[in-house]
Amino acid sequence: MKLNYIYELLLFVVLILLQVTVFNQISVFGLATPFLYIYFLLKLPVGRNVFYVIIMGFLMGFIIDIFLNTPGVNAAATTLIAAFRQPILHLFYDKKEAGNFIPGIHANYGPFIRFSFLAVAIHQTALHGLEAFTLFNPHILLLRWLASITLTLVIIFALDSFTYKKLASDE
Amino acid sequence: MRNLANYIIRNSSWFLAILLIAFSISQVFKHNSYQRSVYLTSANKVSGEIYKLSTNVTSFLHLKRDNDKLLKRNAALEQTVQLLKEENLALSRDSSAIEIFTTDSIQPTQFEFIPADVVNISISKFNNYITVDKGTLDGINSNMGVISTEGVVGVVQSVSKHFSVIIPIINPNFRLGAKLKDSDNFGTVAWDGKNANEAQLKEMPKHKTFAVGDTVVTSFSRIFPEGIIMGYTKGMGKSNDDNFNTFNIELATNFHTLKHVLIINDKYHDERTALETNLNR
Repeated sequence: MKLNYIYELLLFVVLILLQVTVFNQISVFGLATPFLYIYFLLKLPVGRNVFYVIIMGFLMGFIIDIFLNTPGVNAAATTLIAAFRQPILHLFYDKKEAGNFIPGIHANYGPFIRFSFLAVAIHQTALHGLEAFTLFNPHILLLRWLASITLTLVIIFALDSFTYKKLASDE
Repeated sequence: MRNLANYIIRNSSWFLAILLIAFSISQVFKHNSYQRSVYLTSANKVSGEIYKLSTNVTSFLHLKRDNDKLLKRNAALEQTVQLLKEENLALSRDSSAIEIFTTDSIQPTQFEFIPADVVNISISKFNNYITVDKGTLDGINSNMGVISTEGVVGVVQSVSKHFSVIIPIINPNFRLGAKLKDSDNFGTVAWDGKNANEAQLKEMPKHKTFAVGDTVVTSFSRIFPEGIIMGYTKGMGKSNDDNFNTFNIELATNFHTLKHVLIINDKYHDERTALETNLNR
């Protein structure tokens, strides 16, 4: 159990570093930037304490904001996802699922894809919505929104199936 | 009362979330460019060092291109040196005759240029920022102008001891007085958020014509010396005011490859600002 927390903390730090040093530099067609750090919230066990999820989500967004000079934008979007994680999970996963079950593409890919899609879509909507307060440009906004959702999801699925292969070879 | 307490306890996670989101959103709207704490920007120590480290790694990949640029710049400077030499020669010829009028040669120059390296830059967002590796210890203050070897980059926003954050032209909060090089009518350069290579020169008089490729330079401002290149006109832009024209301009600075910048320290800035604010009072 304790090992889980250490693993999560490691994922937390690695995702932040990856986001600020690698993924933020990516900009496909000047539109799509992957926001991969949300992967952390997707991969927490189903039964994890809601307070823990919300506070970690907020902290993650807050730290990302410091790096990107976007005070509050990522923090708000990530806290929103953290708060709605449980209800969204229950839309796609059985409520009787064991508390330490970790959503993943290997377990049952259908629900995980739907769950990630909804989470990423809400996150991106909040993110771009908040950013629109500083500059409103509906045309570009829509394109960015769609492109970023697609790219983020593709990378999340790729990463998830990759870690699964690694775990499988360990066993 | 007990019911209320129960209700709050039962839903306390939602209250926590709402509280945190409200706090975050208040941060979004508090976005006052000049009074924000340095610790919550990429100018702080930890994020600055991380960005510096990652730049150290990637800068090797840019060595060849940077070298080419420096060579070009060197050539241009060489040319200026030659010009100045000639001028000097012409001036020194009869200097002995009017020695009584020669100006004090140790008079300080108004502008000092502080070189800095870019450690982080975003170009694909709406709110773009640049972090550089010089701070207050190197004599940098907020509101200083920043240029590259190609042209205007932006204005320093927040400064820590070792790092500073710059608002580039490609940030919607950026506004700067500008004019076409061959005319005295001035307008404002701002960015519409669409393209990191392009900005808009707004509020130009309707009668003003232009040719594609005209140079756009800084006009008088508190921050930049006059006549620094900002970009080149590209075409007519969309104007939301019938009385004025808007031109699309190609930015002189290539933000995609920006690695080195010069920060302008205007020694008369404080004096001038103090004088102007006194008048306004």
